[in-house]
Amino acid sequence: MRQLPWLSLLIFWPLVAACCLPLSRGDATACRRFALLAALGELALAGLIAVLFAGPQPDLPVIEDLAWIPSLGIRYSLSLDGLSLIFVVLTALIGVCCMVASRHDDAKRPALYYALILAALSTVQGIFLASDLFLFALFWEAQLIPVFFLIGIFGHGDRMRVAIKFFLFSATGGLLMFLAVIALGILAANGPTGPTFALTDLTHAAVPVTVGRWLFAAFVLSFAIKIPLVPVHMWLPDAHTEAPTAGSLILAGLLLKTGGYALIRFALPLFPEAAHTFAPLLTALGIIGLFYASAVALAQEDVKRLIAYSSIGHMGLAVAAIVSGSRLALGGAVVLMVSHALTSGGLFSLAGMIGERLGSRRFEILGGLWNKAPRFGAAFLFCILASAALPGLSGFVGEAMIVFGLFKTHIWVGVLAVAGMAVTLVYLLRLARDTLFGPARSPLPFADLNARETALLCALAVCILLLGLFPGPVLSLAAGPLDSIAGLVWPAATPGL
Amino acid sequence: MTTLVALMLFFPLAGAVLQAAFSRSLSRAASGTLAALAIAASLAAALAAVWNLGVAPHEITLGQWLAFDGFSANFSILYNRLAGLMTVTVTFVALLIHLYSAIYMREDTSFARYFCYLNLFVFFMLIIALADDLVFLFMGWEGVGFCSFALIGFWHEELPNVDAGRKAFLMTRVGDLGYVAALAIVIAASGSASITGLTAQIDAMPTATATLIGFLFLFAACGKSAQLPLSSWLPDAMAGPTPVSALIHAATMVTAGVYLLMRLEPLLAIAPDVGATAAVIGAATALYGAACAMGQRDVKRILAYSTISQVGYMFLAAGCGDVSGAFFHLQAHAFFKSLLFMVAGIMIQAAHEEHDIFRMGARLRRAMPGLFLLFACGAAALSALPLTSGYFSKGRTLADAIAHPGPAYLLAFILGAVAAFLTAVYVFRLCFVAFFSDPADPARLLSDPELARMERPLWPLAALALGYGFVNPPEFMGLKPWLDVYLAGTVTPLPPNVEHAEFFVEMIDAVLAVSGLLLAWLLYRPARHPVAAPAGALTAGLGLDAFYRTWIAAPYCRLSARLWRGVDEDMLDGAAMGAATGLLTLSRVAARLGSARPSTTLTTLLGAAAALLTWLALRLT
Repeated sequence: MRQLPWLSLLIFWPLVAACCLPLSRGDATACRRFALLAALGELALAGLIAVLFAGPQPDLPVIEDLAWIPSLGIRYSLSLDGLSLIFVVLTALIGVCCMVASRHDDAKRPALYYALILAALSTVQGIFLASDLFLFALFWEAQLIPVFFLIGIFGHGDRMRVAIKFFLFSATGGLLMFLAVIALGILAANGPTGPTFALTDLTHAAVPVTVGRWLFAAFVLSFAIKIPLVPVHMWLPDAHTEAPTAGSLILAGLLLKTGGYALIRFALPLFPEAAHTFAPLLTALGIIGLFYASAVALAQEDVKRLIAYSSIGHMGLAVAAIVSGSRLALGGAVVLMVSHALTSGGLFSLAGMIGERLGSRRFEILGGLWNKAPRFGAAFLFCILASAALPGLSGFVGEAMIVFGLFKTHIWVGVLAVAGMAVTLVYLLRLARDTLFGPARSPLPFADLNARETALLCALAVCILLLGLFPGPVLSLAAGPLDSIAGLVWPAATPGL
Repeated sequence: MTTLVALMLFFPLAGAVLQAAFSRSLSRAASGTLAALAIAASLAAALAAVWNLGVAPHEITLGQWLAFDGFSANFSILYNRLAGLMTVTVTFVALLIHLYSAIYMREDTSFARYFCYLNLFVFFMLIIALADDLVFLFMGWEGVGFCSFALIGFWHEELPNVDAGRKAFLMTRVGDLGYVAALAIVIAASGSASITGLTAQIDAMPTATATLIGFLFLFAACGKSAQLPLSSWLPDAMAGPTPVSALIHAATMVTAGVYLLMRLEPLLAIAPDVGATAAVIGAATALYGAACAMGQRDVKRILAYSTISQVGYMFLAAGCGDVSGAFFHLQAHAFFKSLLFMVAGIMIQAAHEEHDIFRMGARLRRAMPGLFLLFACGAAALSALPLTSGYFSKGRTLADAIAHPGPAYLLAFILGAVAAFLTAVYVFRLCFVAFFSDPADPARLLSDPELARMERPLWPLAALALGYGFVNPPEFMGLKPWLDVYLAGTVTPLPPNVEHAEFFVEMIDAVLAVSGLLLAWLLYRPARHPVAAPAGALTAGLGLDAFYRTWIAAPYCRLSARLWRGVDEDMLDGAAMGAATGLLTLSRVAARLGSARPSTTLTTLLGAAAALLTWLALRLT
C-alpha cells in the first residue's frame, strides 16, 4: 500500500478536479455536484490514509521524496506524520463544508467558484505536507492566489480593495519568509550536508545566532500575518466581512491554521535559540491579542466582523501556548486550532446564511431569530457555546490544556489565559443576545435551515462533540511529533508537563 | 453500582436529547410526561443506588476524557453517602418541580425547549453531585451555568430577561475562573485533579498551597452560590419561569458551591484560613440577604434574597468544617425554599402575573386557603419557628459557629444571629402583607382549576419542610440524629462541643424567630394598612449591582468602543493605509521621472549619471 503516492494524491486530486470543472461550466447543478464529489473524495482519501497509516498499527510518517532541482538541493519531498494528518483531515472536512455552505455566492460563475475552492484546498494540503522548505514556500505563496480571486470575484461590497489588502499583507510576509528560506539554503550549502532545503537537514544546520534571529523574525512575521497576531491583523476583519461564505471558511478554518502549523513545524525547530529569545515577545503579543480582540469584538456591528475578531483572540491564545515551552500547552494549541476551525466554520456559515436571507449582517436589523428559525438558533447557540469553551465541547479541551500547561511554565501567563475565558464569554453572549434573542428588528421573513444547511451544521456539531468528549485519537496523533519538536526547542523541559 | 450510577446520569440526558430531537412532534402532554419520567427513572436509580450503598465509597470510572503528556482527566465518579443523599435530594425535588412545571407551563408554546433545558440541568447537576475528577465536575459546573442562562432568559423576546441570564452566566463564569486556576495549580503539581487524589495527597501538601487552592475554590463557590461579592446576579435571575427559580436558583444549583466545599472538606481541614473566610463570608451574606429582602416588594425577589441569605448559613457551617450540618441545612432549604418558590408561582399566576406583594392581600388567602397553608409551612421553616426543619438546621449552623474558637467565628455567629432575627421579620412581612392585608389597589384574581392542581406536588414538600428536622434533631432532645449517623463514616464527625452548644443556640434561635414574628406583626398587621416603603438602598441590594455596572461593565464597553474606533481603525489600519499611500506617492514620483516628456527623461538620466559619477569619485579618492 505504501507504494501508492498517497500524499501527492491528496495534494493534486483537488487541483485536477479544479481543472476539470470548466468542462461543465454552463450547468450550475453539475458544477456543485462535481465539486462536492471531489471534496468528498478528498475527505475519503484523507480518512483512508488515516485508517491505513494511523489505525491499529500506526505506520507514520508517510514519506514521498523525489529529486526536483538537484543542483540546488531542492527536492519534492512530502511527509505526513500525526500532526500533519490532523490538519490534512481537517482541511478535507472544511473543504466539504465549503462546497455545501452556500448556494448564493456561487451564482455568478459556479465553475470558477468551485475550482478556486478546490485549488485553495490543494495548496493548503501542500503546506501541511511539505517537508522541503522550498516546496513549502512555494505552496505558501500559491495559497494566496485562489483565495485572492475568491474574495476579489465572489466577495461582497468593496471586494477588490479588500482582496488586494489581503494579498499585499500576505505577500509582504511571504516575501520575507522566502528570502529567509533562500538565506537558509545558502548557509546550509556551505555546511556538511551540501545544498539542501530539507527540513530535517536544516534543523541541524549551524546558523550563527544573530543570523538565526533575523531569519526567525522573517519567518515569524510571515506566519504572524497569516495567524494573525495583533498588530498585523488588520487584513482579517476586512477580508472576512467581504469574503463569500466559503472564503471565510477557508480563511478561518485553513489559512489561519497554516500560520499556526508553520510556526510549530518550521519556525520552532529551525531556530530554537531564536525561539527562546522571541518567546516573551510572542507570548505578550498573543495575550494582548486575546484581550484586545475580545474587547474590540464586543463593539462590532457586523456579525462576521465580530467572529473575525474572535478568531484573532483565539489564535492569540494559541500562539502564546505554542511558544510557552509546555508540551501540554502545545498540544492544547493544536486542539484549539482544530476546534476553532470547526466552531468558527459553523459560525461563519451561519453568518453567511444570515447575509443571504436578510441581505445584511448588521446587528441593528437582527434579533429574534430564534423564534423565526429555531433550528438556526440552536445551531448558532451551539457553536457559540463551543467557542466559549463549555466543557464537553471542543473549545474546552484546547483551552483547558493550554491553561494547565501555562500554569506549569509561566504562571502569570496562565492567569491571564484564565481571565481570557471571561472576556471571551462577554462578546460571545453579546453575539447570541443581539442575533437570536430580543424582539425581531427586521420585518423580513427568515427561513429556517434547509436540509443542506442542517446537514452541514450537524456534521460540524458531531465533530465538535466528538473532539470535546473523546479527544483521545487526536491527542495521541499529535503527541509524538509535538514531543520531538518540543524536544528540539526545549530539551531541558522536564518530561510529563 | 456502576450501572445504577450510569443510569442515573443517562435518563435525564436521554430525556433532554429526545426533547430536542422531537421538539416539533411531541405534544404538550407527551413532552411533560417524558421529562417527568426521565427524572422519575433517575430518582429510582438514585434510590436504588443509595439502598445498596455501604459506608465504603465507590470509585467508578466511566471512561477516559483527556490524556496528554502526563495530564489526564477521566469521567470518574466518587459515590459516597454524601453524593448518594445529594443525588436523591436533587432528583426528588426536580421530579416534583417537573410535575408542577407541566401545569405551570400550560400556556407556553416552547414547552419542549423548556423541558429539554430542565432535564439537561438535572443531568449536569448530577455530574456535580457525583464527579470525582474535578475537571469532570467542571463540566457539570459550567453546564448548570449554561442551563441557568438559558432558562433565566427563557422568555427571550424580552431583552431584560436575556440580559439577566447573561449577567448570571458572566458572573458565575468570573467565579469559575477561580475554579480553573485552582484546577491548574493542582494539575501542575500532580498531573490530575480528583477529589480522591487530593484527599490522598493532602498530608504532603504545604499549607500555603492548600490555602491558595482553597481560596480559589471558595471564590468559585461564591460565584455559583451567589455569595458576596458575587451575589448580584441571583435577584435578576428571577426573570426566568418560577419553577426554574425553585429548581435552579433555590434548591440545587446555588447550593452547588456549598456542595463543592463539602466535597473538598479534607482540603479545607488543613487550610483553616479558608474555612474561617468561608464562615465570615457566609454569615455576612446571610445578613446582607436578609436585610435586602426587607426592601423588596416583588415576591420572587424577596425569596431570591432569602436564598442568598440561607445559602450563607450553609457556607457558615461548611466553613466550620461541619459537613453534615451544612448538608442538613442544604436539604431542609431545598425543601422549604422550592416549596415557597412554587407557592409564589401560584400566587403570581393567581394575581394575573402580579409580583408585587402589596397588591395581593387577604382575598388571595380566602380564595386559595390551601395555598396559604402551603405557604405557612414554608414560611415557618424559613423563619425557623421552633420544631420546623429550618429551626433545627439553621440552629445547627449557628451552633457550629459559636462552638468554634476564634474571633472570626464569633463574628460569624453574631452576624448569623442578627440575620436569623431579620429572616423572621421579612418572612412574616411577606406573609402578613401578601395574605392578610387589604390593599388599596388590589390585583384582579384569576380563578382557574389548574391553579389548585399545581398545589398537589407541593404537599410532600410542605410535610418535609415541617418535619424534616427530626431527621437530625439536636442532642439535647434525646432523639437519634439519623443524618449525622448516616454520614458518620463519610465525613469528619461532629465535635462534641457543637452538640453542647446546640441547646443554648436553639433557645436563642427560637426567641429570635418568635420575636421577629412579633415585630413583623407589629409593623405589618392588617390593621396598620401596611404600605410599601419607597425604594431605597435595600431595594437595590445596597448598590452592589450598580457598582458592577458603573465600575466594570460600563468602562469595559467604553474601552471596547475606543479600542475599535481609536486604536484598531485609526491607528493600526491608518498606519497600514498610510504606508500604502506613501508607497503610492513614491511610485508617482518615480513614474514622473521616466514620463513621456523627453526633457524630464533627459534630466533624470543626466542626474543619475552625475550621482553615479560623484559616488565613484568619492569612492576612488
